[in-house]
Amino acid sequence: MSAAAARPLVTVQSLESDMATDGAAANSVPLPDVMRAAIRPDIVTFVHGQISKNARQPYAVSNRAGHQTSAESWGTGRAVSRIPRVAGGGTHRAGQGAFGNMCRGGRMFAPTKIWRRWHRQVNVTQKRHAVVSAIAASAVPSLVLARGHKIEEVPELPLVVSDAAEAVEKTSAALKVLKQIGAHPDAEKAKDSQAIRAGKGKARNRRYVSRKGPLVVYGNEGAKLVKAFRNIPGVEIAHVSRLNLLKLAPGGHLGRFVIWTKYAFEKLDSIYGTFDKVSEKKNGYVLPRAKMINADLARIINSDEVQSVVKPIKKEVKKAPLKKNPLKNLNVMLKLNPYAKAAKRMALLAEAQRVKAKQDKLDKKRKPITKIITYFCCLSMHLRFWVYLYFIGSLLLVSQSRASLMQPGWKLPCPVYLSHSVICLLQEEASAINSASKSWYKTMISDSDYTEFENFTKWLGASQ
Amino acid sequence: MCYFGVGRMAEKGGQIVPESVLKKQKRAEEWALVKKQEAAALKEKKSANRKLIYNRAKDYAKEYAAQERELIQLKREARLKGGFYVNPEAKLLFIIRIRGINAMHPTTKKILQLLRLRQIFNGVFLKVNKATVNMLHRVEPYVTFGYPNLKSVKELIYKRGFGKVNKQRIALTDNSIIEQTLGKHGIICIEDLIHEILTVGPHFKEANNFLWPFQLSAPLGGLQRKRNHYVEGGDAGNREDYINELIRRMN
Repeated sequence: MSAAAARPLVTVQSLESDMATDGAAANSVPLPDVMRAAIRPDIVTFVHGQISKNARQPYAVSNRAGHQTSAESWGTGRAVSRIPRVAGGGTHRAGQGAFGNMCRGGRMFAPTKIWRRWHRQVNVTQKRHAVVSAIAASAVPSLVLARGHKIEEVPELPLVVSDAAEAVEKTSAALKVLKQIGAHPDAEKAKDSQAIRAGKGKARNRRYVSRKGPLVVYGNEGAKLVKAFRNIPGVEIAHVSRLNLLKLAPGGHLGRFVIWTKYAFEKLDSIYGTFDKVSEKKNGYVLPRAKMINADLARIINSDEVQSVVKPIKKEVKKAPLKKNPLKNLNVMLKLNPYAKAAKRMALLAEAQRVKAKQDKLDKKRKPITKIITYFCCLSMHLRFWVYLYFIGSLLLVSQSRASLMQPGWKLPCPVYLSHSVICLLQEEASAINSASKSWYKTMISDSDYTEFENFTKWLGASQ
Repeated sequence: MCYFGVGRMAEKGGQIVPESVLKKQKRAEEWALVKKQEAAALKEKKSANRKLIYNRAKDYAKEYAAQERELIQLKREARLKGGFYVNPEAKLLFIIRIRGINAMHPTTKKILQLLRLRQIFNGVFLKVNKATVNMLHRVEPYVTFGYPNLKSVKELIYKRGFGKVNKQRIALTDNSIIEQTLGKHGIICIEDLIHEILTVGPHFKEANNFLWPFQLSAPLGGLQRKRNHYVEGGDAGNREDYINELIRRMN
């Protein structure tokens, strides 16, 4: 009782005929465990493939075919190929090639034999697993729809019909039943699809093809329903204890539209057992367990247990940047060495300074003394003489105390008193010329090997 | 058949928001916060580092200039006093492999492998000691080497510097790459690396090994004669200071 309460309920569809008998509202039956078993399309495909080989009839060519001649090869030397040729004469057939698969009228390559292995063995558990998977699949609307059945008007899947259906005798009544439960579109589809087979099969006693309709499963032996439903195109019938995989998964494809009677539905539990209870009818058989109890990956991934230990999403994967040459690209250089800017700036300034200093030095060395000469020219002849005299005097006296010269009051034996500025100018020029001549003397010394000579003599202890 | 419903819903201002969505939002917020904090901390550390790097680079520049001037000064002093000043022997070598890989004696092949010169025109820095000098003597016909100056070292590392990170050849585009590997030896920026290599410092081995062997171009203007020694007018062997000129042409 508690088990029934835990399992979901399937409502039994009532037919017109039993409204009177039952009087109660919609009945409901608990879902048998078979319908919750693991759906394994791989097992079903395999088992279906193997089982469909079991109804085959052997075919083969006659074992005498192609050998009903006494042909013999003519050998070499006769300008013909060495294939065995038909002996005798007087007819077209004489001398023709025989026996070989390449010859006309010869035996085929590898003549087919009847002792080919036509049937296949399948493990019982595998066969049961396949059937169980197929039954479970028939309860999944998406699979049934995918297989192509028209179940849009079906009220519920799995479709269980009251036992009154088993008492139906007439096909017309059977059709009415189908219409009541919404299975008629599927049967109609099957009827409309009847067509002549494409291919040679039509000449080999397989002339017509059509789609499959619903499969009606009943529970009582000898129910009248068999005769009523069997002539409806597309509809097939099966007893619940003899369910055929070739009917439950036609073509190896899961999801046949199945109509269960109540009796049959209730029997399913005893035939296949439950997950914990062994089957009554199948010795020691328990329903197969799924590899994953909870196959809902999305739910598992989004569960607390998983999400709590998950690391943050790495949205931006850093790509290695293109290497740029720091010796050419300033920004890249600064990234690596922030001091580079200051260093560069200092280097530039130092260079500019050096250039300037050199230029100044050169200018100083090469510059002629222009100021006095221009002034000189402006003076009268008389003054010029005295200025010149003063100039020479200052040159001669420059080695002595310079301080005395700084006094502007240096008197000339002349009534002309030179202005302060002129005297200063003269003094500046004198000192400039002096320093220039001194540095010139020094360069003369350093440029020559004179210093080396001095040291050399010291070593030798020689004296000059 | 799936009878077990979707996650519990929570009413949120009239609209139903699934609880799983709320949980994810909360978690995303937490992660964002942590990320922001980490980023801020990293930024601070980086800026502090930058100052340090600037000062170090400045000190090194001074050091190099001082070294140069010191050398000149010592020379002048000696000349003045009538003696000579002999330069100290070089501590640092730069080796370039100038021959290909075919038809080699296995021992010399091994030595070149040990020196990390597996390809023609590969270059490595090397410390000078008895061991390395003897190794170089064995492989003389296959390499040319000499004493690099500051400009050579700088340019090689800036232009063709790649580091060995996780056994991969990673370009030195950022100081963080150097700090990651050599931080524990106090080398945190490219200037530190250059200084360590140039003034064969206490962690020269680690710094040099960090540098992937330099893959140089074939020299502009060509070599003279690979098969002869430098002193014979060729290219192999020790060419002391003239290696710098070759590096200019190969870098």
